[in-house]
Amino acid sequence: MSRVVIIGAGMAAATTAVSLRDGGFDGQVTLIGAEPVLPYERPPLSKEFLRGEEAEPRWVRPPDWYRDNAVEVRLGTRAERLMAAERVVELEGGERVPFDQAVVATGVRNRRLPIPGVDLPGVLDLRAVPDAEAIRAAVVGASKAVIVGMGFIGAEVAASLRQRGLDVTVVEFFATPLERVLGPELGRAIEALHRDHGVEMIFRDAAERFEGDGRFEALLTKEGRRIEGDVAVVGVGVEPMVEAAGQDVPIDNGILVDATLRTGVEGVWAIGDVARHDHPVFGSVRVEHFDNAMRMGETVARNLLGADEIHDDPHWFWSDQYDEQVQMSGFATAWDQTVIRGSVEDRSFAAFLLQEGRLLSTFGMNWRYDVRRSMPLISAAAHPDPALLADPDVDLRDLQPSGEART
Amino acid sequence: MSQWVKVGSAGEVGEGEILSFGAGERQVAIANVEGDLHGFDDWCSHQQCSLAEGDLDGTIVECPCHGSQFDVTSGEAVQGPATDPVDVFEVREQDGELQVLLTQE
Repeated sequence: MSRVVIIGAGMAAATTAVSLRDGGFDGQVTLIGAEPVLPYERPPLSKEFLRGEEAEPRWVRPPDWYRDNAVEVRLGTRAERLMAAERVVELEGGERVPFDQAVVATGVRNRRLPIPGVDLPGVLDLRAVPDAEAIRAAVVGASKAVIVGMGFIGAEVAASLRQRGLDVTVVEFFATPLERVLGPELGRAIEALHRDHGVEMIFRDAAERFEGDGRFEALLTKEGRRIEGDVAVVGVGVEPMVEAAGQDVPIDNGILVDATLRTGVEGVWAIGDVARHDHPVFGSVRVEHFDNAMRMGETVARNLLGADEIHDDPHWFWSDQYDEQVQMSGFATAWDQTVIRGSVEDRSFAAFLLQEGRLLSTFGMNWRYDVRRSMPLISAAAHPDPALLADPDVDLRDLQPSGEART
Repeated sequence: MSQWVKVGSAGEVGEGEILSFGAGERQVAIANVEGDLHGFDDWCSHQQCSLAEGDLDGTIVECPCHGSQFDVTSGEAVQGPATDPVDVFEVREQDGELQVLLTQE
């Protein structure tokens, strides 16, 4: 194995390069990134960077690192397709880059609303640095923002724009913010937070048309509302950028990889947001978390160096909205019991999501330790006693994987 | 104005160990490096993670989340992704108590 080509230049891709060098790999490493800038951390784009508190992106590694570590970085270069039989990646323009091992880390793109007016100036979305810069520029002198969708991106953008002094109205299809992730009960806690900060929220409605004379002026909704604003930001989910993986790699809502992050094609791996991996506890999942992208980069580098390691990280992510800190670990799409430790009303709590007694996921708001301390229980598919989970005096680290208190 | 605040008992933090204590509005991690106690903010300056639950190697604590490293004697970030330092606190053991010096602003 003398040449590793990494398609993508985000968190997962850059971490792969870093971990390969840290692991002693002395072959060629090439990063091919469609964006024209070095790898950076995306989370601040909806927070500190959007609010103008940080002028520069947070680089994953300083620019010198790539040169000092002989990592070739080809920026502003789109990989057209991976040709498995020929062992080459074809770039736009036709150049072919040979590889011995290829790692696909192309990430996701924002879903676009297929409705009239979506191309109007002033209708924006957020994924990359230029998007965040465009929103920053658009809100200068603006007084009102309309946000479509209230998942994490919509909620964080709403918070940041409120903090910049704009009036904010959000239109969300579900009955609460983040309902698909958190369920309605916890979603209402997020709703209350935003309401207290003056965000106007309209639920069970959806965007039908953006209007404006050469520039965004109003959003018309399916329920017949007309919401005026100076700028609109759309956050309605993402889709994996699978195209560069080529014809031979199995794809189904992401590039399918096994527990060691291998695709079905020898010498081709996939990681990060684009990869739907076979998780030993959660089954086949694709997530869009900073932390998971980083850890997959570490795992794939170790496996490229021969470790044959299973990626069994229990997943963890955070969100900052106003001065509130939110975290979540694990993975749950359905649960039949929610156990609260702390106080939802006081916005200081952990919520444990269980299905048939098994801990799947933990959500926390301004509750520092238990989201992470529950991760070994999630990894062990533990069935902890709800009374112990609810008791703040019980240290989760003292619970056995069976969920019993340690004696 | 500064004030010593009791957070625990003398001898509670063993050598090579880090424990986390509530101290007023703050959560302070206290590390024992070869018998010397060092207090610092128990929250990584990068993202939402407890440094007390990380590993201590000499005077360097490594965040369990993203691997940022801080010198517990100064709070300085010595390895990224964190770039900002964490606050540090004076710690002493007196009259059988573990105490942290808090400054009110």
